Amino acid sequence: MFGIILTIIAFELGVTIHNKWRNPLLNPILIATILIIGFLTVTGIKYETYKVGGDYISFFLGPVTVLLAVPLYRHIQALKNNWLPILTGILVGCITSIACVIACAKIFNISKTLMLSLIPKSITIPMGSVVSEQIGGIPSITIVAIVITGITGAVTAPLVCRFFRIGNPVAQGVAIGTASHALGTTKAMEIGEVQGAMSSLSIGVAGVITVFVTPVLLNVFG
Amino acid sequence: MRVLLQLALILGICYAGDLIHDYTGIPVPGNILGMLILLLLLCLKIVKLDQIREVSDFFLKRLSFFFLPPAIGLMLVGDDVKSQWPLLLFLCIVITIVTMVTTGWTVQLLSKKSKDKN
Repeated sequence: MFGIILTIIAFELGVTIHNKWRNPLLNPILIATILIIGFLTVTGIKYETYKVGGDYISFFLGPVTVLLAVPLYRHIQALKNNWLPILTGILVGCITSIACVIACAKIFNISKTLMLSLIPKSITIPMGSVVSEQIGGIPSITIVAIVITGITGAVTAPLVCRFFRIGNPVAQGVAIGTASHALGTTKAMEIGEVQGAMSSLSIGVAGVITVFVTPVLLNVFG
Repeated sequence: MRVLLQLALILGICYAGDLIHDYTGIPVPGNILGMLILLLLLCLKIVKLDQIREVSDFFLKRLSFFFLPPAIGLMLVGDDVKSQWPLLLFLCIVITIVTMVTTGWTVQLLSKKSKDKN
């Protein structure tokens, strides 16, 4: 019970703080993670004790991932009208992200496990954590990397689009969703309706493409 | 559909995804196969959005809550990783921006071409 109650309280606090200031840096999951780890460290309660309750919550990750089909289905019409540029763009983005991680790991001498944990960092958490587990990464590192990536997208998207002259609304939306999943999408929705829809669509498509492309790229470069 | 039946349907799809993954050895996680199955069922109108509304609203509205326990696993991460956090933070930020730019440019270039043709 303990783990469940602690998680709920920390999550609600995180959401409340986020809603109060509406600053993307105050991401609820980041706040809640810090609160829980802080609480366990201060009280000296072991991770294993927390995990007993935590596992009941993690059980629902399966159905949550399956339900991602719902937002994907809602936006599938937008894809049909413009499918070639959108799909190619997302594919290029996914390959760029994965290839950059592999290249940086070589340049900066990052361990293999860590590199594998960072590979799915641009996609949505449910998909990213399963990909991470599948290829031998550490899902908890992946989740934190995903949150940092999302915050980066939400904070920098308007600047990046202006500076690199990405003016087409469809291109803006697809770029934000592919690079920074649902967190970046919150920003895309603020920029405009087309951007928001395109970004939402790209979350799911980028996730699926990454699932399929990752093993291939790892075979070639890994 | 009754809420518990909706949940049973989603869990059933999840289970089917796992079974397909286990028996065929497809390198795609069972969860994701389950998602593709539900997407197919929705596209074929075998399942309608209204029929799974309560369950999908409940889970999708608090999506990130279910990822807190796995994130807490960070506590078990070794010191070798902890010392690399600043580098990881830097890489995450740079790679995200690079990805955004290449994606945006590709879409923009291709949509311009298809417009020119018309």
